[in-house]
Amino acid sequence: MDKNNFISIIIKLGKVDRRVIFLLIAVVVLLPLLFPIGLPIRATDTTQRSFNAVDALGQGDKLLLSFEYGPSTKPEIHPMAEAVLHHAFSKGMKVYIVCLWPDGQFMAIDALNAIAPQYNAVYGEDYVLLGFRPGGEAVVKGITSNLRKLYTVDYQNTLVESIPMMQGVNSLADFKLIFSFSAGYPGTVEWVQYGSDPTGVPMSTGTASIQVNEIIPYENAGQLRGVIAGMPGAAEYEALIGKKGLGTSGMDAQSIAHLVIVLFIIFGNITYFLERRRSEKKY
Amino acid sequence: MYTTEIIGAWFAVFLTLAIFSFLYKDNPFYKAAEHLFVGVSAGYWASTFFWTQIQPNLFGRLWPKLTEEPSGIKAAWYGIYDFFGWFHEGIFPGGGIDKGHELHLFYLIPFLLGIFMLLRLSRKLGWLARWSMAYVVGLAAGLRLYGFLNSNILAQVRGSALSLFDGWGTAINSIIIIVGTLTGLFYFFFSKEHTGVFGKISRVGIWFLMVSFGAAFGFAVMGRISLLIGRFYDLIQFSGSQYYHATYWLLALIVIILGFQAFRERGRSTEEA
Amino acid sequence: MFWKRQVHIAIVFITGILTLFGWFVDSPRFESFVNDDATQWYDIIASFAIILGALNLLKLQFLKIVKQKKDWQYSILAVVGFFFAITAGFFWKGANYIHINNVTANVSTVAPVIAEMEQKTIEQVLPLLEGADTYDVGHIFIIKGSAKKYFDELTASGVNAEMKEKSWGEHLLEEGTVFNWLFKYLFTPMSATMFALLAFFVASASYRAFRIRNFEATLLLLSGIIIMLGRVPLGSSISAWFIAYIIVLSAGMGANIIWKNRMTTFAVVTGGILLVTILGWISGWPVDKPGFLYLPVLQEWIYTVPNIAGARAIMIGIALGMIGTSLRIILGIEKSFMGE
Repeated sequence: MDKNNFISIIIKLGKVDRRVIFLLIAVVVLLPLLFPIGLPIRATDTTQRSFNAVDALGQGDKLLLSFEYGPSTKPEIHPMAEAVLHHAFSKGMKVYIVCLWPDGQFMAIDALNAIAPQYNAVYGEDYVLLGFRPGGEAVVKGITSNLRKLYTVDYQNTLVESIPMMQGVNSLADFKLIFSFSAGYPGTVEWVQYGSDPTGVPMSTGTASIQVNEIIPYENAGQLRGVIAGMPGAAEYEALIGKKGLGTSGMDAQSIAHLVIVLFIIFGNITYFLERRRSEKKY
Repeated sequence: MYTTEIIGAWFAVFLTLAIFSFLYKDNPFYKAAEHLFVGVSAGYWASTFFWTQIQPNLFGRLWPKLTEEPSGIKAAWYGIYDFFGWFHEGIFPGGGIDKGHELHLFYLIPFLLGIFMLLRLSRKLGWLARWSMAYVVGLAAGLRLYGFLNSNILAQVRGSALSLFDGWGTAINSIIIIVGTLTGLFYFFFSKEHTGVFGKISRVGIWFLMVSFGAAFGFAVMGRISLLIGRFYDLIQFSGSQYYHATYWLLALIVIILGFQAFRERGRSTEEA
Repeated sequence: MFWKRQVHIAIVFITGILTLFGWFVDSPRFESFVNDDATQWYDIIASFAIILGALNLLKLQFLKIVKQKKDWQYSILAVVGFFFAITAGFFWKGANYIHINNVTANVSTVAPVIAEMEQKTIEQVLPLLEGADTYDVGHIFIIKGSAKKYFDELTASGVNAEMKEKSWGEHLLEEGTVFNWLFKYLFTPMSATMFALLAFFVASASYRAFRIRNFEATLLLLSGIIIMLGRVPLGSSISAWFIAYIIVLSAGMGANIIWKNRMTTFAVVTGGILLVTILGWISGWPVDKPGFLYLPVLQEWIYTVPNIAGARAIMIGIALGMIGTSLRIILGIEKSFMGE
């Protein structure tokens, strides 16, 4: 095969039908799910800082979790929510859960059903799900000023006054740390702007990958204590707490898919340069 | 495994594969799923917002649960409530709505503005929706102004402060961040032409913005692949025997039908040629 | 004319000023109105807007069917989907469950039945029944008839059981109702799959469209590639020396483009490869050193330094624009949101 033929083949491959690319991506994502490789996971600094923020709390400290994601971003955020719950329950923290998205309540129930029984956590004493309230930043403002006015009942319509762990909890200032699991609006940004910044209560967050770049300046400015970024971040948090979950099991597929996309970019550019060189030579 | 779960799994798999079939080409399966999604979404969100906002927070404040027998104007007011209750007892349960609120007739204002919003559908009275829009926009403008000023400007400026005495690495990184932030902001100043020194500064700003966009691209890819992994997890789960191998059957069905359609179209175009 | 053109500008001004002053005025009543009531009104009106959107969609789909426009048959599905969701939301709760009254006296009888209904083991169910005289079975039946088998089994054993229904409102968020079934098996798969489709298009764009046409595009793609590889476990398995070799080869390509001299290119590439090989051999080929070439470290630096700078510039820029636009809206200068 001479050099020109070889270059022609490369250029032709650069114009392959996009359905071939779709099929390749599907195969590349599916195979590692069926045949896991077990690549080692190394925590990044931002995930480590998030872990440290939660780890700084101890027995009996009040942790406020906010669930604002739905089924479409569940693969990214649910693993980190479960990992943080593992962490919180293992250290004996009091976990209070609110939701800014209606779907968030379903996600919270799923996560609690999976994790709480492993630590014999008792509802009303170790954790409470206050539930969803509509209003976005209005809810955050309400929690900041007067939580009991906003939440008269929990998600099961039990009066908040009758829940033991709600004694002495009246506003955001009563919490040691805010942790938001966010996939968009309302979410981390609203908690920073209307919750954490006005009150000074420290905050950390786990977000969908697409939102990470939007909120990373908050982390750098100290308004957030660490960020768990997407499914890789969830896998890192699982590695830090020593409990493998869905985040870790998706990492092989994620790694291989990323590598393939990088190779696509490189190969696509090689064909571009070869084609350009060939057309320059013609003229 | 309950029958409703099995039926639900088959629906979920079919709809997932129907939407994925768009990757082959636009086809009736995809169009059907797309239109069903549009209709179901609209109904889902309308129901959700009604039951989580309008019924408890609006009606719950206009007609809260009665603690004693009403009299006079209050009785007349609750008479209206009982009339509505005749149409749907779920929305207007007997004796008032028990959501822990007190009577606030003040909330007739958002009720009226809400009705005005719905009048947008009428050609003659649609202009009334402007009043409702005005309230929403005005409130959002006032609310956001402070939040963005405090958290997105002042705190960010504070966060950009130089840390020159925490080691060489921190000092250099700190300088890079502030240079990048300032040059990036220079780029966004479009009132002056980007020529000369100003042009060179904004060019440096573009480089930092490009790095940021590249990182955003990387995270976007990461997010999308994660969502794809999530869908594949579900398809793998629903391929199990407890769901009667839904994934395999439905995948085979869609592939066969689309394949047959493609074969027929090719035959037709060969004939025409 | 006044009602149609001036009143809404006045409303924007009053609400905007009130909300803004709510941050600065130290009056509990005023603050309570701004923080609680005003924002509740906003949410209520926004909810009506959602319902307006749904009704408008329905109107458009109906018109498409009536006028038999292109693909009108699919609009029937849209309408059917909408009415199914409304039925599940307002007319068909499907939220039936069994309530057991005398649990303590019948633990051995009720435990296996509850375990079957809730798809748990008896060992998992027994702790839930401890000390409880009444119990609401966790599983919700859409149709009463589906619960009959279990209900009959309980009542035949002398257990005092009742068929109950979750209340309206609760049916939305309770697992197992018709609305929840719609959410779990129709809305969720379609919504998630629509998002997941983008993964394929991103891959296709990476192959067919992303080209290094200039320096800025190179920066963008390099940054994206380093983030993509550095943030996943695979990145920590790629040796820093491999990256060093890639840099040497890229330098060779660059030298070829600039000087167009084969000897120079050969010298750059050979010299670079030799240098990297000698340094690697001396240091023992550690995977993560030199640190500035190790992908996770490189990724972390890009993520936390130049990326932050760009993202911060964008954030401040957007915030300045947001403040300017908010002020213009409040003062009535900006009226485009009204369609004027």
